[in-house]
Amino acid sequence: MGLLTILTVGIYRFWARTRLRRWYWSALRPGGFPLEYTGTPLEKFLGFLVAVVILAFYIGVINLVLIFLSFSLLSAPGAAYLLTILGVIPLWFFAAYRAQRYLLARTRWMGLRFGLEPGAWGYALRACFHWFLTLLTLGIWHPRLRYALARYRHNRTFFGTQRMEQGGNRTMLYPAFVHVMIGGFLTLGAIYETAPELGPFFAALESEDFSSFEASSPSWRLFYIAIPWLIFGLVYYGVEGRKLLINTLSVGETGFDIRPRIGKVLWISISGNLARYGAVTALAMVASLLLIGGALTQGLTMEEVSEGDPETLFRAVTQDLPGWLSTAVVVVFYFLIFLMWNVLTHVFLTMPTWRHYAETLNLTGTPHLATIDQRARDESREAGGFAEALDVGAAI
Amino acid sequence: MTTIRIGAAPEAYEGKGLYLDGASAEPRKAELRIDEARRALAILMPRKDPVYWPLTEIRKLPDQSEQDMAVMRLAKDPLARLILTTAQDQEIMRVRASELHRRPPVEGKRRLVVWGASALGAVALMIFVLIPFLADNLAGLLPASGKRALGESVFEDVRVALDRTGVDPLPLCEGPEGLAALEKMGTRLFPNQSEEEALVVHVLDHEMVNAFALPGGIIVFMRGLLEKTETPEELAAVYAHEVGHVRALDPSRIALRTTGSAGVLGLLLGDFAGGAAVLFATNRLIQADYTQEAEAAADAFAHQAMLDADLAPEALATLFKRLREEYGEPEGVVQYFLSHPSLGDRIEAARAATPADATFRPLLEAAEWDALRGICGE
Repeated sequence: MGLLTILTVGIYRFWARTRLRRWYWSALRPGGFPLEYTGTPLEKFLGFLVAVVILAFYIGVINLVLIFLSFSLLSAPGAAYLLTILGVIPLWFFAAYRAQRYLLARTRWMGLRFGLEPGAWGYALRACFHWFLTLLTLGIWHPRLRYALARYRHNRTFFGTQRMEQGGNRTMLYPAFVHVMIGGFLTLGAIYETAPELGPFFAALESEDFSSFEASSPSWRLFYIAIPWLIFGLVYYGVEGRKLLINTLSVGETGFDIRPRIGKVLWISISGNLARYGAVTALAMVASLLLIGGALTQGLTMEEVSEGDPETLFRAVTQDLPGWLSTAVVVVFYFLIFLMWNVLTHVFLTMPTWRHYAETLNLTGTPHLATIDQRARDESREAGGFAEALDVGAAI
Repeated sequence: MTTIRIGAAPEAYEGKGLYLDGASAEPRKAELRIDEARRALAILMPRKDPVYWPLTEIRKLPDQSEQDMAVMRLAKDPLARLILTTAQDQEIMRVRASELHRRPPVEGKRRLVVWGASALGAVALMIFVLIPFLADNLAGLLPASGKRALGESVFEDVRVALDRTGVDPLPLCEGPEGLAALEKMGTRLFPNQSEEEALVVHVLDHEMVNAFALPGGIIVFMRGLLEKTETPEELAAVYAHEVGHVRALDPSRIALRTTGSAGVLGLLLGDFAGGAAVLFATNRLIQADYTQEAEAAADAFAHQAMLDADLAPEALATLFKRLREEYGEPEGVVQYFLSHPSLGDRIEAARAATPADATFRPLLEAAEWDALRGICGE
């Protein structure tokens, strides 16, 4: 499917995404019943076109006017770029909410539709407000943000005719955040302690010459603890936070009991990342071996090969080939990497993570479900098109 | 029921499934039979009327992750579902329901065509009408300091884009004697520059045979051009031509235009705020395909400026002629000079602008000219 997407300049991505979602949804079986995804590729494509028409106007004209104003009033482009980005941020949250609404409107379980009430602008407003506070507090506000946004979404989510309800309270995610804080403080402390040596360190990094650089401060070792702790903290916050949110969620009298294991998720993310980075590195090594071999057969000496940068080598190898052929080789190689990356991410990261969450999920109070009735179809015309155009980057 | 069969009778099928009526979230255990008379699957549930699904109307949901379970639906009913959990039930369905895998017909083809066409139309309208219109009008409203700032920011982008590694900006050539010669050329051509119209001239260390103007009176020569010009007057003619563009606000227009359309194109290509857009924009500026009228106007401006400075406009003609002879058909690096079909006309115009009886003063000393051509060192 990735291949078809590339061959159709990205148009097949709507079809690919639909099929992927059908597959992922069917793999999730809360209470033994698979979810069903009923979205269609064409409505996604249409929604994308609608979004492009609207955004083309917004981005084209607004960009132009902002650049003009910025240069005529301030003689610098900075303000315009800042304003353009600031102008897109609310749109981004808006798009995310609309995409979520479309997704839920096309998701069924036990024959009933899910749904999300309209409220994208309110969501965008709250998201902007909470993100502002989060930036202001160096991230310490984030658990509040996460809870507030989850609550806003969940309290507007329906299963059939039954509204969901997010329980818990706004500070309940802080226990899950504790390792991020520890890791963050350790990292900040390490940066503070080693601050006088950071300049020379980055200079050495840039010139790739560490011979003159000597770490004298013992605080460098702090990084060995701080960075892993921070990474662990982020994974822990992701998993534990999700668990807390889902376990306090209810659909009428039906509740959730999810018990993801942090070790398992950590293992999936480590092994998955190793797999995809490893595969891409392997591919790059094969390519450089080919390049070196090619350069040697072209009569370059071993010395020239080891001295030359990849570009010179590539030129030397492809000098006898027509220009279009060498371009084609580069393009094919680029897409090969892109394809492999996508496939490996699905196989080793996304799917195992989803499966783990699904496997550890249990429903309580299920008899209540039988009393829930079907809800009307939500057309959701733009079908996640804004999110697609703005590259909001949903998981699938 | 009396059914007359010829040949072996199919074995009576007794299966089980879970039926979801799509009206409530209550799965019902169902007995499954095949009703040969109706040519339908009978779904029998306790205390409910039996449901009949015509065999040819049964579809299987596609793209399911695991095969231990199969979900069936009716082609025309979007809601009801039948879940089969045994391999045997699935096998019977596979044999008896003949069109299990038929896809639903594509709906809304017309809407797709309409929206597709209007999306393309809207983007074309933006890029070819609205953005140029806005850019042309706004360019005149930019104050001098704004134009200079715009030009400088574009110049930085151009320098980075032209560099082979694409990371460091392309170096400027700053041989002091060469710069002095350039300065002398500028003063001779445009002796009375007001504060607002002050020119800034740079030479870039690049082999492209090219010169371009940026907003705010920034004129850029490439080393390749210095190597191809044979007399100071030829370079002066190009200089004056570029100033002609600046005075006509051509670079400001193009710069504003490309910022607008680059954003739109980036959006379409899924490369929102991405690098391709910037590359495209800088490329447009260097190649600067102005309209034929704009080129002719800049030429006319150059002819007048040359005459006012006691220099022969014909220098432009000699340069164009030599480049055309050397490179033949327009392509590659000299495209900038040769891309216009009216090159012959432009040569003619430069010759015609040179009065036969006029006398001209030389522009630079031989030493100065050498310093200028060697401004990049080596």
